[in-house]
Amino acid sequence: MPDVKLEIPPRTAYVGVVRLALASLARSAGFDEEAVDDIKIAVSEACANAVLASEQALSDQPVSVSWSEDDGECTIEVVDSGAPLVSVTDGDDSANVRQEMSLDLMRSLVAGFDLSTTDDGGNRAVLTISRPKDAG
Amino acid sequence: MELGLDVGKVGSHAVVDVKGEIDVYTAPKLREKLIELVSEGSYDVIVNLEGVDFLDSTGLGVLVGALKRVKAHDGSLALVCTQEKILKIFKITGLTKVFPIHSSVDDAAADSSAS
Repeated sequence: MPDVKLEIPPRTAYVGVVRLALASLARSAGFDEEAVDDIKIAVSEACANAVLASEQALSDQPVSVSWSEDDGECTIEVVDSGAPLVSVTDGDDSANVRQEMSLDLMRSLVAGFDLSTTDDGGNRAVLTISRPKDAG
Repeated sequence: MELGLDVGKVGSHAVVDVKGEIDVYTAPKLREKLIELVSEGSYDVIVNLEGVDFLDSTGLGVLVGALKRVKAHDGSLALVCTQEKILKIFKITGLTKVFPIHSSVDDAAADSSAS
């Protein structure tokens, strides 16, 4: 399957659109429903973080979501132009608590998770998922 | 994407039946409903998640916030959930140790009344 790239406005209403689209791509790639559920959560968390970071930075730049496949794994990349997420530390502020849970979920539900800062100060979250062995 | 919220009573407990997807977009609606219940004096609350198809960290944050509010009034917040895909979210985030999670509203009401 060719790579797919989506762009959404940095608004929470569009996170569900990405979730539906990526679930469909994952099913097409041969993932079973349990794996699709995990992917839906992980990609929703990445997109929610991206949208919230954009809102915090008052950025209207779109959030981009890309899906790519190779023989061994699928990769989902979510890039925003918002405030840096990597600076978030432990705290009792409710936004930080949410973000810590979000990071825990992504780390637990996909084979690989990496969060970095882009050249323009935004965020790049990369999620990697091992492909099902019998997928074409 | 819609989030359905129906509020009822079982004994002294307010029961919120949630249907649909709880995510960063819909979770504020649940937060408002739970704040409204507490402000009206409902301090023993059961949130029924059996009709929920999807739950994310924002939804978890709303439930944690509601738990803090009812605890401030010596109240309780119990959850009803038997779906493995939703329970998994609570297990990963360690919240199974924070929330009493039951298999039915009646069980939740009975347990909460006894404690």
